[in-house]
Amino acid sequence: MEKSEQQFVADSEPLYGRWNPNSALGGIFAVLAACFLFYVVPGYIVIPSDMQHPLLSPRFLPQLAGWMVLALSTLLMIDGLIKPPKREEVNEFRRGVPVMRQALMVAAGIVYVLFFEELGAIGSGVLATALLFLASGLRNPWVYALVIVFPVVVTLLFIYVLYVPLPAGTLWESLSLI
Amino acid sequence: MMKLTKSRLKSSLLCALATVSLSYIGLVQAKEWPEDNIRLVVPYSAGGTTDLLSRKVADMLQKELTTVVVENRPGAGSTVATGQLARGGRGSDYMLLMASPGHTIGASLYPNLRYDPVSDFAFVRNVINIPNVMVVPSDSPYNTVAEFVEAARSQQLTFSSPGIGSSVHMSGELFKTMTKANLVHVPFRGSGEALPALLSGDVDVAFENMPTVYPHIQSGKLKALAVTTVEESEFLPGVMPMRKAGKGYGLETYETSAWFGLIVHKSFPEEGMVKLQAALDNVMSSDEFKKFLPQFGAEAGEVVGDDFRQFVQDEVQKWSDVAEKANLKR
Amino acid sequence: MENFSEVLALFLSVDNFLAIAVGVLIGVVVGAIPGLTATMAVALALPFTFSMEPVTAILLLVGIYKGGMYGGSITAILIRTPGSPAAACTLLDGYPMAQQGKAKKALKTALYSSVVADMISNLALIFFASYLAKIALNFGPPEYFWLICFSLTIIVSVSGDSVIKGLIAASLGIIVSTIGLDAVYGTQRLTFDDYNLMDRVSFIPLLIGLFAIPEVIDFYTSKVAPHLRTAVAGASLTWKEFKGLLKTIVRGSVIGVIIGAIPGTGATTAAFISYSEAKRTSPNKANFGKGEIEGVAAAEAGNNGVAGATLIPLLSLGIPGDVITAIILGAFMIHGLTPGPILFQENLTLVYALFCGIMVSSVVLLFVGNAAIRYFSVIADIPKTILLPIVLMFCIYGAYAVNNSTFDIGLMLAFGVLGFVFNRTGIASAPFLIGFILGPMFEDNLRRTMLISKDDLSIFFRGPITWVFVMLTIASLIFAIRRYWVARNEAAV
Repeated sequence: MEKSEQQFVADSEPLYGRWNPNSALGGIFAVLAACFLFYVVPGYIVIPSDMQHPLLSPRFLPQLAGWMVLALSTLLMIDGLIKPPKREEVNEFRRGVPVMRQALMVAAGIVYVLFFEELGAIGSGVLATALLFLASGLRNPWVYALVIVFPVVVTLLFIYVLYVPLPAGTLWESLSLI
Repeated sequence: MMKLTKSRLKSSLLCALATVSLSYIGLVQAKEWPEDNIRLVVPYSAGGTTDLLSRKVADMLQKELTTVVVENRPGAGSTVATGQLARGGRGSDYMLLMASPGHTIGASLYPNLRYDPVSDFAFVRNVINIPNVMVVPSDSPYNTVAEFVEAARSQQLTFSSPGIGSSVHMSGELFKTMTKANLVHVPFRGSGEALPALLSGDVDVAFENMPTVYPHIQSGKLKALAVTTVEESEFLPGVMPMRKAGKGYGLETYETSAWFGLIVHKSFPEEGMVKLQAALDNVMSSDEFKKFLPQFGAEAGEVVGDDFRQFVQDEVQKWSDVAEKANLKR
Repeated sequence: MENFSEVLALFLSVDNFLAIAVGVLIGVVVGAIPGLTATMAVALALPFTFSMEPVTAILLLVGIYKGGMYGGSITAILIRTPGSPAAACTLLDGYPMAQQGKAKKALKTALYSSVVADMISNLALIFFASYLAKIALNFGPPEYFWLICFSLTIIVSVSGDSVIKGLIAASLGIIVSTIGLDAVYGTQRLTFDDYNLMDRVSFIPLLIGLFAIPEVIDFYTSKVAPHLRTAVAGASLTWKEFKGLLKTIVRGSVIGVIIGAIPGTGATTAAFISYSEAKRTSPNKANFGKGEIEGVAAAEAGNNGVAGATLIPLLSLGIPGDVITAIILGAFMIHGLTPGPILFQENLTLVYALFCGIMVSSVVLLFVGNAAIRYFSVIADIPKTILLPIVLMFCIYGAYAVNNSTFDIGLMLAFGVLGFVFNRTGIASAPFLIGFILGPMFEDNLRRTMLISKDDLSIFFRGPITWVFVMLTIASLIFAIRRYWVARNEAAV
């Protein structure tokens, strides 16, 4: 009885059906690999005219890796169809995350990527850290003092102690603030 | 104390920010050059020969002028940093760049360069030159350049380099085009990887920088067939220059070396240029510098100002031709 | 040994001890900061050594090197941010351990493994240098090629739950590694005419992006969880546990020594091979990657075992095995010394004084490391709401500082998103990293072998070393496949 009961419990555990994440992932990777192999490689890897041997081709390794991805993702897709993976419990912290929180994180990323040179290390550090603190809904004003202290201290540390230069900020320079 | 009002907090924070950003670079009254720290840009990553030489030069230069900060900006050979210098703008009055063969070779190797390696810059002076040496493993059957060329015309031989577009690689390509030898280039990543292959005889020859191979020539693991400079090198007495050793094999005009020199943006202030050249003169005539050179098998650079510009111009032309023939031109 | 007193006279000075202590301290701190690597610290410290005595100068640099090798593991364990490339392997089990409240144990394990491996590596340097240097010289392109093939088989052990997904990640890593100018022909490969891609994708932004940034993204795409103190006050490493780990540590150290003695392979590869070997022989295979103490020990032993051994080709042949030893070579030359056989003939006293200093540096590492654990552990007490923005800032500054390039910041965040996607879809990030590191080595050595072969392909099997690595590769593959089938069948039953 135990055995069959265990079997029953195991079978009734939630499984993904045909649309399981592994098959979907395999499918996506397979399409991407095919695009890479038949569009990107011929278009963006030039074969030099004086190549001595196919093993020396600049395309050899990218193509090898591309075919590997294609073959393995197809395998992953089939594997998922034959043996769907068990459904994992959804983490309760992942449900209903405020859009604002995620948007502020993206904003902080954008500040760093696009305005690092303009605002300088300190400027972008202060702004992005403030955005991330807001994203977590920190209310204590004293915490926001850290927003300024940390970028300033770390930047000065990089520049004067470690002799690693960081940008001062072209915006401040053009405003003649520096 | 905890009852700091919001507005007071805000203003004090702004104050702090302002003070810090002001003291960050240093507010200095306009005075004569140099009124600010000098930045010496090294277009390669930390730890290479260019970096090492630059740090030594910076160390000595700042005793003459003002603080010199070394900054590594590697990328696409040396062309990323050079392109940034060529764009100029704020701060370019205090920016020096340690140019090396990559400056002239890169001009033909890298596509769509957005600057001209000669006309976009002003040339301070050539500081250090390092000769290259044509070396073969000690058990190699070739003892002279002539023997080597004869052999390489009848069979395929290989030469190593620390990477495509390095002066070591291009010296080999130049040798190949001038002698019409059947040489195959085997690229490594850095001299540390290239050297064992040469010592063990996996590759037949290399045109390596003097300091890299000098100890191995001394210990007898490598044979020096020729130096690539016009004159014999004082470090390898008895080793003929390539022009002489390769006479009759098309090498009569052969000359290469790894050179290092300071270049600046074309709008660099005249006053700064004069002071910089004077400071470099002092540095280069100092005992410390003269003691430093032999440790790298190096020689003091000779060309200054417009002569240096002419030298670079000739180099650009030379490597452009070689790159064309070696099918490397992009 | 009449020279002995000379050696001591040269070595026993306040300056030398100070240089070692300061060097190791700088190394540990800089190594722990993401983006700032030991390489950078050594290069930046170089100008300060110009005016020092040669022995003092070299010991300072070696101290930074050794400290940096260990320092990377602290932040890897505490905040999943590898301070140095090799720490990416320590992180696999170190970070899960910290999450389970065993941060102190993980940190101590990492430290003691590092110190022991360091000692073994030093002894190898002192006693077997000339022998190991001979082996290193026998490594030509074909030997490297098979060594890399063998190293590629470790992907299977770091793939986590799904080998297929791990292999996909490794292949993707290989594809990313081929971006840049072709090494043989100088033609463009997948650069899309962009300047920033002409050299290869920079390693440090990729490393931090892949491991540290996903934590940040993960935190901001879930609700604020109450702060979980990772309790560094937890249990330390007991003597009994340490004894149990000793075999793994010694094995890791030996792997590190061999890899270190061969120029151009590197500490990261050594750490992963050691990790993979430990997993293969461990009774707790299944726990690897989920907080297995043996995994931490193996990774750190492998990576620190390299530190002393890279000095073998440097001192006995004058060949630098990596960038750091290249800088140290420069320091030798600035002081008018040329490493190689001549150094042993003409400056034997100096060499022995260096050996003394290198041994002392391992002991210093033990003390500095213990202090560092105490101070860095404060990190674990900071709530994530405050910690993560600051970690992100460090990562951004560090990524920028490597090449002084804002492009690298974007690159790092892009790899961060990739790492996040990997995490959410159950793909392990470590194989991607291994593919990225080993892909170019595989290709380079394949091509070099072809170029020097003069059309005779028997060169691929030219000597005993090639055969050894061919066998090891095949054996490792057979093991992997067998383990895969066993695991699959167990899962099916």
